[in-house]
Amino acid sequence: MQTTPSSADQDLQADNLRRAAIDKSVKGPVLFLFLNGAFWLMASTILGVLAAVKLFSPSFLGDCPVLQFGRLQPTHLNALVYGWGIQAGLGVMLWIMARRSGQELKSGKSLLYVAGVFWNIALTLGLLSILMGGSTSMQWLEMPRWVWPILLASFLVFAWPMVIMFGRAFRPEGFMVSTWYILGACFWFPWIFITANVCLHCLPGLGALGAGINAWYVHGLILLFFAPVAIGSAYYFIPKITGQPIASAELSKLGFWALAVLAGWTGMQTYMGGPLPAWMPSIGALTGTLLLIPVGVVGLNHHLTTLGKHSLVASSPTLRFTFLGSLFYPVTGIVLALLSNYSTGVTLQFTHATYGFQIVAVYGFFSMCVFGAIYYIVPRLAGCEWLSVRLIRNHFWFSTYGIATIVVTSLVAGVQQGGDLNHPEMWDQDFMQLSLNARPYMIARALAWCLITWSNIWFLIHLMLMVAGLGRRSSAPTLLHSAHDDTPHAAHA
Amino acid sequence: MSAPSNSFQPDSTDLDRLHSAVKREKADLQPGREPVPMLVIFLGMIVAVIAGGQLGVMTGGYSFNTSNPFNFTAAPDPRPGGGAGAGAADPFQAAMKKGASGYAVCGGCHQGNGMGIPGQFPPLAGSEWVTGGTERLVRVVQHGLVGAITVKGQGYNTPGGMQPFGAAMSSGDLANVLTYIRNSWGNEATMITKEMVEKVRSDEKRAQQWTEADLAPFADKNVPGDVPAGPGATAAPAAK
Repeated sequence: MQTTPSSADQDLQADNLRRAAIDKSVKGPVLFLFLNGAFWLMASTILGVLAAVKLFSPSFLGDCPVLQFGRLQPTHLNALVYGWGIQAGLGVMLWIMARRSGQELKSGKSLLYVAGVFWNIALTLGLLSILMGGSTSMQWLEMPRWVWPILLASFLVFAWPMVIMFGRAFRPEGFMVSTWYILGACFWFPWIFITANVCLHCLPGLGALGAGINAWYVHGLILLFFAPVAIGSAYYFIPKITGQPIASAELSKLGFWALAVLAGWTGMQTYMGGPLPAWMPSIGALTGTLLLIPVGVVGLNHHLTTLGKHSLVASSPTLRFTFLGSLFYPVTGIVLALLSNYSTGVTLQFTHATYGFQIVAVYGFFSMCVFGAIYYIVPRLAGCEWLSVRLIRNHFWFSTYGIATIVVTSLVAGVQQGGDLNHPEMWDQDFMQLSLNARPYMIARALAWCLITWSNIWFLIHLMLMVAGLGRRSSAPTLLHSAHDDTPHAAHA
Repeated sequence: MSAPSNSFQPDSTDLDRLHSAVKREKADLQPGREPVPMLVIFLGMIVAVIAGGQLGVMTGGYSFNTSNPFNFTAAPDPRPGGGAGAGAADPFQAAMKKGASGYAVCGGCHQGNGMGIPGQFPPLAGSEWVTGGTERLVRVVQHGLVGAITVKGQGYNTPGGMQPFGAAMSSGDLANVLTYIRNSWGNEATMITKEMVEKVRSDEKRAQQWTEADLAPFADKNVPGDVPAGPGATAAPAAK
């Protein structure tokens, strides 16, 4: 599967067998991660609906303390981040790394299962603790303090074979773009996770700086784990499906290194004007804005790679999800820049726009790319094809409209909320009334999560059937566009 | 690895179908070699200029004490006593505070009130050994003291005498404790600084304890060295 397509049939045959063997070697752990991730995604979206409803109808679900916004919202986000995001991300990372490096997963598969099981158990107990009132009240780190060492150890168990695979691979220059990002994510996640947890759980008396470190962690997780995994996946699948090479190796390098250098400096700008030394938010504002460069460069590179092959976006589920996901990368970058720089941040700070940013990054950008990867990977591992075009279309469109609604309404609500709070005299309204003014947007958010829940129900069922080996028994891929139905080999699943 | 899984699959012999997904994949290609377009460099510079605007005055001069870039005068520390900054400004108070906790080692014999125990352990309060020459005082604590001595007119002769404490304490800790005993229980004498203790340590490498007779030459001598300005320096030197 390396650079030069072999002319000899025998070589092609051997190459096909080698790739099939690699797929087989990672099958169990990858499907385990996808399936568990999809379950958590389901849980997270349902919690998202409940939390959003709570925002405009606080009496909904009664007075039970377990079902109040303050517990539902962190559970919703933690399930999304740790249950779905990191788990599904690890699955995609493992498969792409194995394929791209041409390495089978040689040993330690049972250890991967153990790590996966521990991850899910720790997460379940952690989320239950949040619901029972044991939240640490630190954003994205709400789970009790004993959870993080288990999560960290599990992550390292998965990261280790990937690093080994990368080390063993034959690496032609400029050829490993997707695996740079994945290798980066293998190292960056432990770095930010250890730093944030040790600082916040083990160092006493951080004061306001603790909030800053917390914000740094959230931005780090988005920019140094979710973004690299999604970009790595897009860099793998867009050329793979369009059959065109990555447009520019130079742009790839620029996009990677700029992200690697800048991303770790962001986060503190969340507290611009707050009780932190002024230079900390200032550096965050600088890098949050500068990140537009790598974001734009990667977006351009993907655009140039897809150029002329847009008909495949209509037919290939993988390319369609990946295309939309990589379209959301520039959107994520622009929202980050708007939140980060002082001119617009003064309005958007501490508003609903922050939630919009987190969702566009984790769902719009990362998850859509991962869905694309799952639509490509699972048929190869499960040995059968996706059952239904309609279910895939359903998943795509309901997700797309749901995410777009959340992002747009959160940003508009943020602008309105921030503007009102900065100039209360314009409206002669008290704080309570200004909060109530956001109500329509919260209703829209709840509806959007309902759409996403609907899409995820079918995604989960579809995935469960595939993992159970109940997919279509066919050698033709499941394509979205009916025009290709009679010529299945013309395009690509 | 061409053989399909051993587990039961109704049509597992259908190799062509099982590997069809792999077979229809397109080959991986070497990325293109186009240079970065000029437009990207141009737009990147615009972004960099906007981003650079987030620095400048907004950094508050990179000071850890400035959180609001538009008001460079730091608010007073709300903590009692003005916080650590004010406490650290007075080395005498800091030495007294640290010396008080270091005195726990001495208090076992000399007692918390510095009065000692009659017949066994001599007092520190009002003792000419304590408020007298610093050369002698530092040497006693550093190397220990044995045999019969006279303090405030009373004779003392504890079996084993006083152990040397110098090896177990840093010169800073030792100086703080000595400053503390020289300025507690009505005593009033100059500070003993870390530098003074270090000087005695480098001058005197004695292995056994002192006796009163050995120390007689140092009784009225002070270790040379500067005492920081403040209450610790205002007390009249006891040794005349």
